[in-house]
Amino acid sequence: MSLLKKLAYLLPARRRAEERDMQEELRSLKEMAEPGELGNLTLVAEDARAVYTWMWFERLGQDLRYALRSMVHNKTFTALAMLSLALGIGANTAIYSFMESILLRALPVPDPKSLVVMKWRAKNFPSVAMSISPSTGGTHTDPSEGWVGTEFPYPTLKLFQSNKDVLSSTFCYFVTESLSVTVRENTDAVTGQYVSGDYFRGMGVRSSAGRLILAADEKVGMEAVAVLSYRFSIQRFGDASRAVNQSIRINDKAFTVIGVAPPEFFGAEPGYLPDIYVPLHANLLLSPATALAGVAQRYQDQNFYWIEVMGRLNPGVSLAQAQAVLAPQFHRFVEESASNERERSDLPELMVTEGATGLDSLRRHYSAPVFVLMGMAGLILLVACANIANLLLARAAARRREIAVRLSMGASRLRVMRQLMTESMLLALLGGALGVAIAAWGIRALTLLLANGRDNFTLHAELNWTVLNFTIALSVLTGLLFGLVPAIHATGFDVMPALKQMRTTMLAGKSRRTRNSLTLARSLVVTQIAFSFLLLVAAGLFLRTLSNLHAINLGFNREGVLLFTIKPQTMGYSEPALNRLYTDLQERLNKAPGVRSVSLSVRPLPTGGGSLVPVVAPGAQLLSGLPSAGPQAKQVGLLGVGPAFFETMQIPLSAGREFNEHDATGSPLVAIVNERLVKILGMDAPVGHMVAIGKTSYLIVGVVRDAVFMAIRDDPRPMIYVTYLQNIRPPAQMTYEVRTLGNPLVPRLRSSALDPGNIKS
Amino acid sequence: MEPLYGLLDMLVLRTLVFGPLHGYGIAKSIHSSSKESLDIEFGSLYPALKRLEIKGWIVSKWETSEHNRSAKYYRLTSAGKKQLRKEHSQWVEFASAISRVMGPGPEGAE
Repeated sequence: MSLLKKLAYLLPARRRAEERDMQEELRSLKEMAEPGELGNLTLVAEDARAVYTWMWFERLGQDLRYALRSMVHNKTFTALAMLSLALGIGANTAIYSFMESILLRALPVPDPKSLVVMKWRAKNFPSVAMSISPSTGGTHTDPSEGWVGTEFPYPTLKLFQSNKDVLSSTFCYFVTESLSVTVRENTDAVTGQYVSGDYFRGMGVRSSAGRLILAADEKVGMEAVAVLSYRFSIQRFGDASRAVNQSIRINDKAFTVIGVAPPEFFGAEPGYLPDIYVPLHANLLLSPATALAGVAQRYQDQNFYWIEVMGRLNPGVSLAQAQAVLAPQFHRFVEESASNERERSDLPELMVTEGATGLDSLRRHYSAPVFVLMGMAGLILLVACANIANLLLARAAARRREIAVRLSMGASRLRVMRQLMTESMLLALLGGALGVAIAAWGIRALTLLLANGRDNFTLHAELNWTVLNFTIALSVLTGLLFGLVPAIHATGFDVMPALKQMRTTMLAGKSRRTRNSLTLARSLVVTQIAFSFLLLVAAGLFLRTLSNLHAINLGFNREGVLLFTIKPQTMGYSEPALNRLYTDLQERLNKAPGVRSVSLSVRPLPTGGGSLVPVVAPGAQLLSGLPSAGPQAKQVGLLGVGPAFFETMQIPLSAGREFNEHDATGSPLVAIVNERLVKILGMDAPVGHMVAIGKTSYLIVGVVRDAVFMAIRDDPRPMIYVTYLQNIRPPAQMTYEVRTLGNPLVPRLRSSALDPGNIKS
Repeated sequence: MEPLYGLLDMLVLRTLVFGPLHGYGIAKSIHSSSKESLDIEFGSLYPALKRLEIKGWIVSKWETSEHNRSAKYYRLTSAGKKQLRKEHSQWVEFASAISRVMGPGPEGAE
């Protein structure tokens, strides 16, 4: 009732009518009364008007005006405080926006809350799951659950799909390593995703052009179709609608683009953006002929865990209900798929989990670092708070007289505190606003830093409403934090001594209060120093790690060398033609302008992974063909390389020679070892001696310095290099190392690498 | 003497029990019914009227006075009557409590 009337009074027309009415009433009463009997009618009207307005609102206005005035008056203080707050709040906002994009944000699909992700858990790695596809990395150990995985055998998809009363749709996908996609004669390796027919319908997304993959596209014998990501369609066709109905080639097979996914859609895994989506069964078409039987077998195999399964709950069905229905069915399924007691002893159990934020591999990897960063940013803000609280305490001493005057004139302590808190809040909110600007800049800088040159970086941290609400809440909290204690402190003293003292001596150093405020200020300074020290140490450690990583001696010269990897079979090269292609490409690249030397290796140094083998040193027994008694080195890195590898990578030879064109099939098997292996095997002059990998003996032709093999943080390990030309079968992929003078010119290299077209078969 | 803080509202409500009155009339009525011992400042009375009106305890209407003048008359609403009963019983309780403490006469005084 009264609220409505007060609200109505906010309307100007209503306010004017009320005012007219009041003036008329007061005039009529004045005529009745004796002159002067009613007193000051202007004041009466003013008091009556106050009834219609909110006093706190009016006072807030006064407080704000006063706060603004005092801020303008103390320009240095205001600027300092706002700047340190803006930095603190800005850093927190920027980090929080990353946290939001990694940990909290729901998938950009309609009704993400009804999505579920299927997972399994087991005490140990379940032996019933014969092979788990390594490409997605969804399987991991979890401290509370044991082993948790997100991959399932294909037959389970049908099993889950049969529960139409629980799940309105069940769909799956499978991440590919990379696909060779040819658009208008231009081939690139792009990330792709195989999706089941119900994938896009279940996700509930609409195409931005053309149509998306449907269940019918999965049937064997249908036209091969593909859906592009929005980004990829723009890159290659300039426009989403122009991509529709275009013919492209994937792994040298003809496909038709039927549509383009919406711009914001990135599949189910934040941080991983597929450029192209193809029906699941297209993997039959895209696999090399040699692997076809195995790929076809996957669809029947009950023990091959490879697809990621998701579903959408029917309205009104809870996670627990879905779990109760589906888990027993899955249990029966794995029970039947187990073939011995060992497998039956630890069967995986189904877990139906929330799918609103998609699959959590990114969250698993980044949640700890993000929390650490958030904690550090929080500390920075605390330091800023302590700093401002200290400044406010100092200022309170200066404003003592002002406050004493206000208190002595009848202002309540609460009223003065509210005035001081208003000033703090205003400061905090202005600092927060400035902080948002700093955060916007910080997010851009952090994105650049994290993307590290990758153009398909998909972590879109941004200033959305969730983040801005966080910032506002943080600003208010900050204002309370640094404002409250100084406000309590500044108003809690006896007025009269303060007034007198100020007037007479202006000396403030001897009263008890002042000593208290000095103690408070000191403890604030101590806190500030402690936090700053903590931050400094942490930052120092970070920098130290970073500079250590930079200073690691990789064992080769990393400046001015370009690496690229090719997988010729995906483009239709037959196995016998591979070695010819590899040598031919090396020769052609060697002739390209600006190239100093070119080599090749089966895997790239230092991060390409590789195999570890035991190596046996020469002994008397070796000559008789029983290599077992000599000194042995376990876990020796094995890498197949081509001619001129050590020259190109600039790994110094300390003895002997490096591989050349004559080390090929038919000539004696040769190997080059590194110094660490020589030391482990205890050889004096290894060149000319024999070593054995398994039962195969190699003649050592050279010794090289150590180089990092599999991971930058690893110590250099014992290494044995062989030449790929002496492999029994040619490697399916090859990495080229091209050392150039100055900056490598990629387009020029690309054109010299083009196959003239006579090697394929 | 002026009424104690917070009692003015009650006095206004009580005065309006006998029928609608305009602002000046209310002041006069309180003054006379208190045997001229209570002086109501118009500066306090008028905002109090606005306050009571906003709370819905009284309503106002322009009417013609006995001297054929136009004036705004205030009338008690049923919510106002209820409020008056409540304040009245509280006041009786309060007054008797105070008089019990104060006793019959100023024995120790002066």
